[in-house]
Amino acid sequence: MEFKQTQLPNGLKVIAEVNPSAASLAVGFFVRTGSRDEDDRTAGVSHFLEHMMFKGTERRSAFDINREFDEMGASYNAFTSEENTVYYAAVLPEFQARVLDLLADMLRPALREEDFQTEKKVILEEIALYQDRPQYRLYEKLMARHFAGHPLGRSVLGTRESITALRREDMLAYFDRRYSPSNVTLVGTGRIDWEAFADKAAAACSHWEAFEAPRARPPADAGGGVGVMADGRLGRQYVGIMSRAPCAQDERRYAASLAATVLGDVTGSRLFYALVAPAIAEEADCGYEPLDGEGAFMTLLVTDPGRAGEALEIARKELARFRAEGPTEAELTAAKNKAASAVTRKGELPMGRLTAVGFDWIYRQTYRPLGEHIDRILAVTTDEIVEVVREYDLTSATILALGPNEKLL
Amino acid sequence: MAEQFFVHEFDNGLTLLGQRMEQVSSAALTVALPGGASRDPDELAGAASVAAHWLLRGAGGRDTRQLNDALDCLGCRHSESAHAEHLVLSAGLLGMNLSAALAIYADILRRPQLADETFPACRDLVAQDLEGLEDEPMRMCNLLIREKFYPHPLGRSPLGSRATLEAMTADAIRRHLERELTPRGTLMAVAGRFEWPELVDVVAENFGDWTGPGMEAVVPAAPADGVTHITKSTAQVQITLAYPAARIQQEQYYAGRVAQMVLSGGMSSRLFTEVREKRALVYAVIAHYHNIKDHAGMFVYAGTTPERAQQTLEVTVGELRRLTEGVGADELARAKAKLKSALIMQGESTAARADALVGDWYHLGRLRGLEELSAAVEAVTVDDVVAYARAFPAEGFTVLTIGPEPLDTSVLN
Repeated sequence: MEFKQTQLPNGLKVIAEVNPSAASLAVGFFVRTGSRDEDDRTAGVSHFLEHMMFKGTERRSAFDINREFDEMGASYNAFTSEENTVYYAAVLPEFQARVLDLLADMLRPALREEDFQTEKKVILEEIALYQDRPQYRLYEKLMARHFAGHPLGRSVLGTRESITALRREDMLAYFDRRYSPSNVTLVGTGRIDWEAFADKAAAACSHWEAFEAPRARPPADAGGGVGVMADGRLGRQYVGIMSRAPCAQDERRYAASLAATVLGDVTGSRLFYALVAPAIAEEADCGYEPLDGEGAFMTLLVTDPGRAGEALEIARKELARFRAEGPTEAELTAAKNKAASAVTRKGELPMGRLTAVGFDWIYRQTYRPLGEHIDRILAVTTDEIVEVVREYDLTSATILALGPNEKLL
Repeated sequence: MAEQFFVHEFDNGLTLLGQRMEQVSSAALTVALPGGASRDPDELAGAASVAAHWLLRGAGGRDTRQLNDALDCLGCRHSESAHAEHLVLSAGLLGMNLSAALAIYADILRRPQLADETFPACRDLVAQDLEGLEDEPMRMCNLLIREKFYPHPLGRSPLGSRATLEAMTADAIRRHLERELTPRGTLMAVAGRFEWPELVDVVAENFGDWTGPGMEAVVPAAPADGVTHITKSTAQVQITLAYPAARIQQEQYYAGRVAQMVLSGGMSSRLFTEVREKRALVYAVIAHYHNIKDHAGMFVYAGTTPERAQQTLEVTVGELRRLTEGVGADELARAKAKLKSALIMQGESTAARADALVGDWYHLGRLRGLEELSAAVEAVTVDDVVAYARAFPAEGFTVLTIGPEPLDTSVLN
């Protein structure tokens, strides 16, 4: 396993973790932009633009792009979050140059008006699809409430209204503001031929014009408050609890992640024993989300409407107890072993390593081999976890419920 | 590099399957017990799902917490679920912890506590999952279409019904599990980092003297094909169609898999191109292949807003039928490339390989290597795909829709 890096004169970073024994390779363009970099009028443009990247370039039609990926037998897609847009493909080694040429070309899209209007309908269908997923609806509104007034509160998909009103010129302006090579990192993992990779990247991306594309990173307020979204069509009650957590740049993210595992992993956690094992809730889990300059713990409960109040009380009690006592040594050991085993298994696939290596670079400008990640996980102490959950108070949270109930309790 | 496959059949009917993977340090374990949702007695529909929870509620000398903690301590990510024809327990962990985990699985399978006091919660969790389906129309649709398509009870939803769950008792499930927890017909697959002779010894030590009856076969009723609509005020209409496909044991199987790829293999496939790219009718449209021992189907899904649902149905069915008119050489090449590279990439995942070993052995009684699979895919011609489409035409549909209004399905006749 060997790490390689270079930078093009226009600022585009190229990195790779080369694993000669892998059977395949994965390549991704990581663009540091997402819904947090939008404004009210362009809500959803990052994600819409991600779709438009597949609709053709000067050299290729939309069908050409899809056809070429499929000719290589690639496993490929893209995703957009609050702060990143990633275009990726996994292929067999013989297609390294071709897949790189294709992905690089896609990132200079033609953005044709006709394609724009057609794809707008697909985006509206996607918004409708997520309307039928209560957990997603809850997540989106909980983020909006917890990060009220902060860019991280912006919806990734946008709304029916914002997408309908969006014009091609708005998207072009956004592209010209955000897609500077200084915001782009090209990442390769698996069986990469590094010299050819770096050469191809230079040939395909050197003409991209650089410009300043800074991101606003205002401090977020502490969030807080309680809300209820009553929807009589739903049969289950969904409750989200969100609180502050260490940011992606903070070394305490390892402790934060283990805290979430002890507290709310899907098996063997405090919330599992307190809520799922006795079937008070069907689901009760806690996750840690490291973000650029911010972070969040999020707990989700899914319950019978009649038991939602009880479940919430128990969850709150567990959060408070965890804040006061921290984990036991045995709990921490189990959490570490689960985490170490999970990153190892994920790391065995080039696609699994792609996001890990990519985000290490995007957020922290560092490369950390898998073994070092595991060492950091194993080095976390109970005291460090206690310190994290005291500074980032789990009990000072934003709470939002979605379901048939008119009231929270 | 040729795969390193291993098979050991124990006298008690347990089959151990292995694939050693040099380049990894993890191991994946899949245990498939005969039974599953299709072998739940009618009055106990949902039993396998309840059992999946109950088995983890204490085993050997450990109570619920001790048992789960013991697995967690090994860094073992585990899940248990009822499939159509098996109750499946899966685990992902580091290879060095495999022996210790197998000793715990011996307790789970051979010495589960199945205590009265832990039963109601397990039943309630399945009941809650069933209620939750009402809020997730896409999941509901994809689960229920199998129930409609396969002869009863082979496609039965593993979640049972409100009535069977309410009436279910601990005693009834214990009696049912006496037949289900048996080495006879149980497949245990390990893929990843292990030494085979050592693995055989550990399994022999833990499971060698396990005894149990064989499970009798079920006699399925004729499938209840036809059109079902569930009225719901959802944002999108869910459309699922199913029609017969070649079984894995049949000669035309590989032509069928290539046909499925032509329809839905990548973004240049026919359904994606015609339904989404050209007409923007949907975000998601997909055709996938699913099989059980004696039946297989092509399952097609599309989700769209109500005013566009009728057109989506018509365009989708048109594409399914157009396959009989021919396939381009370029389409065929893409479909094959996709299938072959997916095979190689799955070969890097221990979890995917453990599941594949179980699937191969259950359906074919042998393990297929990458070379055999690649050659079989490579041999498929345009004529084979067209012949397949004529032998397994897009007709005799089973249809399930969920949304505000039923659709006009006369186009399917």
